[in-house]
Amino acid sequence: MTRADRVVVILAVALLPFLYMTYWGPSQQGDALRVMVNGKETMTVSLHADKHITVHGSLGDSVIDVDQGKARFISSPCRGKQCVHTGWLGQGGEFAACLPNRVSIAVIAEEQRYDSIVF
Amino acid sequence: MTALYFNTTREDHRIAWLAALAITLHIVESALPSPIPGVKPGLANIITIIALIQFGWSTAAWVNLLRVLVGSVLIGSFLSPTFILSLAGALSSILVLRLASWLPGRGFGPIGYSVLAALAHMAGQFYTAYLLFIPHAALFHLLPVLMTAAVIFGIISGYIAHLILGYGSRPLAH
Amino acid sequence: MTFPDKTPRGWILLLMLLFLNACDIQQAQLHQQQFLLFGTLVDISLWSDDKQKTENAIAQITTDLEKMHNEWHAWHDSPLTRLNKALAAGQPGTVPPSMIPLLQKSIALSNASDGLFNPAIGRLINLWGFQQDDAPSNTPPDAARIQDLTTAQPKMQDLVLAHDQLTSRNPNVQLDFGAIAKGYAVDLAIEKLRALGIHNAIINAGGNLRAIGKHGDRPWRIGIRNPRGPGVLASIEARGDESMLTSGDYERFFEYQGKRYHHIIDPRTGYPARGFTSVTVIYPDAATADAASTALFVAGPQHWRDIAKKMGLQYIMIVDDKGHVTMTPAMAERVRFELNPAPNFSIVALP
Repeated sequence: MTRADRVVVILAVALLPFLYMTYWGPSQQGDALRVMVNGKETMTVSLHADKHITVHGSLGDSVIDVDQGKARFISSPCRGKQCVHTGWLGQGGEFAACLPNRVSIAVIAEEQRYDSIVF
Repeated sequence: MTALYFNTTREDHRIAWLAALAITLHIVESALPSPIPGVKPGLANIITIIALIQFGWSTAAWVNLLRVLVGSVLIGSFLSPTFILSLAGALSSILVLRLASWLPGRGFGPIGYSVLAALAHMAGQFYTAYLLFIPHAALFHLLPVLMTAAVIFGIISGYIAHLILGYGSRPLAH
Repeated sequence: MTFPDKTPRGWILLLMLLFLNACDIQQAQLHQQQFLLFGTLVDISLWSDDKQKTENAIAQITTDLEKMHNEWHAWHDSPLTRLNKALAAGQPGTVPPSMIPLLQKSIALSNASDGLFNPAIGRLINLWGFQQDDAPSNTPPDAARIQDLTTAQPKMQDLVLAHDQLTSRNPNVQLDFGAIAKGYAVDLAIEKLRALGIHNAIINAGGNLRAIGKHGDRPWRIGIRNPRGPGVLASIEARGDESMLTSGDYERFFEYQGKRYHHIIDPRTGYPARGFTSVTVIYPDAATADAASTALFVAGPQHWRDIAKKMGLQYIMIVDDKGHVTMTPAMAERVRFELNPAPNFSIVALP
């Protein structure tokens, strides 16, 4: 082992933690969706598995679509359909709510891009 | 009909011999299962490093390139995405080895070269994959693991090369 | 090979430290919770390493917010509805103690905004169907009725407050604090947090946000929602203690024959204000920011600058009905667009 060898090996090994910190570190893309009914958390689902979720609220069932790392309300028993109009949520911190049905969904990422969203 | 003659030199023989070894290793390795696709121990790299140290950079470069080209033809992956990635990796490591061979003084030994080559190889493959095939930010999630494997296998290959070279300076090809 | 001996232990220690750092122990200090309160989604973020204090604080402010919501409710039976009944009958009504400062503040802000922020138009809001829990019906009300209520000109100046007794010179005055209540409640909640020893927090009640302190060692990052489309339009970093508020035509509305009728009614016309889709204001206290964003929305493209000057506002961002963004110079410095491609924008100074 020459001295140069040692330096290379040490630097290479030292590089690794930085890679983990950078690329395994907090991701901003949402990882999970927190579903709440009546202000209480009922479930948290991964955003990485496409699916439909039916949530029972006080007016009826809201259906949430999880697709390609994003989520949205597809249907809800409310009249205004504000929740549906909110559209796709993908970044940590984003959320939509069907207030009449008391159902809300929020995207959680390990580190939120935004601490809060004014809407 | 006249026969075609090529004037082959000693160096050509040497390269052919080494390349054959490397290709064999390459093919054997490609048959091994890998937990993460695209991550191979890079055993063929051992030959490249030995070639580099014994016979110089240009021999090593040829051996590496031939390994990728011929290896992929034999495996049947010529011009496939796998081939393109291997080629990118090979070119990157050749380039880095060239730069490394200019280091003055005692320079690098087999382990140093091997680690450098492995890192360059993995980086070349990764970025080519990112640019050409999977331009998703999510791909970077794999980078730390891939580089860890590269470092580990780089050290192991280098050590093996060291062992082989350490048994005197018996020429591997004539 | 002499590798192991020569490797300094210091290197290994360094590597271990680097790995540990990667775990980001700081995450344990952010407490975030969401509640359905005050008729909307309330999002509370606290930065504190005292879990007990945090939980206690959240419990207290959620109770407070619920209480205020019930007391100031514009259509469920509440001290406010009882007050409104008295005013409509030409009688003096009793103002509960918690409502007096709110009322006084509303009068002051109404004056400052030339009456464009006007909580006395409860009857109009009711007529348009925005005083109910569910979405309004899908048709605009009768034009004649709108006309009647508009010409009646109910305004805050019609009110006379003596101690806790309120009388109105105009029986058409019906108080609806919708355009200021959440902001005001957020102010009170922030004061409460401070009193409880928490100095780094965000309270966001349905888009009425006030932030104090920081997220650890970095400022709080606030996103402004895209009024027409998913995701975030722009982000701003909070500085010290300030409120950010957006009034938009997408919060409560209905569409009829291709036209959108939303809940921000212009007291001068009796119809929803036209010209803007969202107005964002940054101001120290949330109550003023709330009233101001409403007033600017009503003022529309012609008069917003004058009202802004009158109310002493500095940070304003407006999105008009064509998607064009207008900002004051001070706001432009702070805003970072998050849409790709970024929207067209212009910077307009106040007079």
